[in-house]
Amino acid sequence: MHMADALITPAVGGVMMAVSAGAIGYSVKKVKEEFDEKKVPLMGVMGAFVFAGQMINFTIPATGSSGHIGGGILLAALLGPYAAFLVISAVLLIQALFFADGGLLALGCNIFNMGFFACFIAYPLIYKQIVKKSFTTKSITAGAITSVVIGLQLGAFSVVLETLISGITELPFTSFVLLMQPIHLAIGLAEGIATAAVLCFVLKSDPALLDGYDRSVSEESRMQKKRVVAILLAAAVIIGGFVSWFASSYPDGLEWSMENVAGTAELEAEGQAYHAAAGIQESTAFLPDYGFKNGDESSAMAGTSVSGIIGGGITLGLACLAGYIITYSKKKKKLNVKTNGIAE
Amino acid sequence: MSKLTESLNKIRSLEELSEGVTVIHRLHPMAKLVTTIIYLVVVISFYKYNISGLIPFFIYPILLMSLGEIPYKSVLPRLLIALPFSFFAGLVNPFLDRELAFFLFGIPVSRGLLSFLSILIKTVLTVMAVLILIATTPMDKLACQLIRIKVPRIFVMQIMLTYRYLTLLITEAAGMMTAYHLRSGGQKGIRLEHIGTFIGQLLLRSYDRAEKVYTAMKCRGFNGEYRFAAQEKMKAGDIMYGLLLCAFFLLLRRFNISVIIGSFFG
Repeated sequence: MHMADALITPAVGGVMMAVSAGAIGYSVKKVKEEFDEKKVPLMGVMGAFVFAGQMINFTIPATGSSGHIGGGILLAALLGPYAAFLVISAVLLIQALFFADGGLLALGCNIFNMGFFACFIAYPLIYKQIVKKSFTTKSITAGAITSVVIGLQLGAFSVVLETLISGITELPFTSFVLLMQPIHLAIGLAEGIATAAVLCFVLKSDPALLDGYDRSVSEESRMQKKRVVAILLAAAVIIGGFVSWFASSYPDGLEWSMENVAGTAELEAEGQAYHAAAGIQESTAFLPDYGFKNGDESSAMAGTSVSGIIGGGITLGLACLAGYIITYSKKKKKLNVKTNGIAE
Repeated sequence: MSKLTESLNKIRSLEELSEGVTVIHRLHPMAKLVTTIIYLVVVISFYKYNISGLIPFFIYPILLMSLGEIPYKSVLPRLLIALPFSFFAGLVNPFLDRELAFFLFGIPVSRGLLSFLSILIKTVLTVMAVLILIATTPMDKLACQLIRIKVPRIFVMQIMLTYRYLTLLITEAAGMMTAYHLRSGGQKGIRLEHIGTFIGQLLLRSYDRAEKVYTAMKCRGFNGEYRFAAQEKMKAGDIMYGLLLCAFFLLLRRFNISVIIGSFFG
């Protein structure tokens, strides 16, 4: 779901950067208020933990696909939403710098899509509401899965909006949404299940690590099983409804290598995006419809562009030549230094 | 090679590159940060059909890769991460926008093809520009600049600590992975029913480590503030570099060099 710089315009990138910077500023203020200097190294280590954790893939039974844990809800459930938001933002920056996973100007978009929705919408409005103070395996599982799924849906929808406002892809709104949401529903389910599993492990081994956990309350609240069951049921109905709709509109939907369509890994299954889009258009004709559109814009373009491309080729050639000369002369210089060194 | 060790190698190789001693490495980090951002903004501001205007922007990465002695093989893995999504977001363009733009040597070229190519070119350019920044500037120096432009200290600290512990925790996770694989009969990935315990274990270990780190920091006088090395001053050369390059980018944005050169031949 990481957006690249090439898919946005400076205006979209700038606005989202400002929004995310505001959210970071607010979170910094909140974290400082309850400042616990012990939390400083903890947050750093947790950032690295999520980074490493997301590289560990698990196999999804019967699909041949794989998934990994989601970062946002997991961190929020452990550190609280504000610290979690800062941790995710830092992780996204490092991913952009070192792995080209998401662009530097698109960082604001990515922080918003993956951090804001998870920490400030899905966590307080869904996870917390479901878990409340009853920290049980069931409530945590229900809370984690629903909140991860919804957070990811919002994020995916936001990706669609940001890309379309930038006007760089020709994909129409509806097909883009129909492409993104179901895929991210599947990804969300996988991430949610993994996140729930980790949180349940924490509940069993060291529940004090969970955000908002209070030993005294949790014992009595186990009585509230009924409510949890009701919520689980509701969640199942909602998710089930989504899945069946998803499955019927895309018969082979679950076989999509989900991670890939999200733009994170290998190439193989990415072709699905293309197939779906091409199918929507019901046309494989690649060459343009002959004839220019009336108006000055097109004819002006026709005039400049052919010579532009020739000129561009020449410019590129010259730049490469200059680059080659620099590299070559540097190598020669180094070689001279080496041989002279030996001679002396 | 697993994903974990692969990313570990990526971080290490970038770190090694950033310790080089070329002209570009010696430039003030602020000059490089500012030029990189201006470059990115100018590149992505190009209209979606304008390819000829974009091509001259290859001059910057090509020259800096040579001057900064950054091997081209480090670009490729980054492109493999960044390109697929751009590629498929753009691939529909030639199918949906089939209006004729112009004939190139008698071959009709559609607008969709142009916008598709421009997405690809922009991706390559932006990925290279960020690579150049990070391969010629050590992370701690970059962090200093973030403080200088008033990014909250606590957030910069967060970035630095995450970066520091990344290699440690990836190594830890890679060790656990190896142990798991050795006992699981060659299956790929981790079984769903084990993922909670596996990642949970890693989490507990991370907490343990954070505890130890905190104690160690406390012993060395940590009081909640992360200290950064003193700021280097910007020299006249750094300012010149920044101004000249930014002016150059704006000039290329304003005047389409490709068309000017092409007009001599066409």
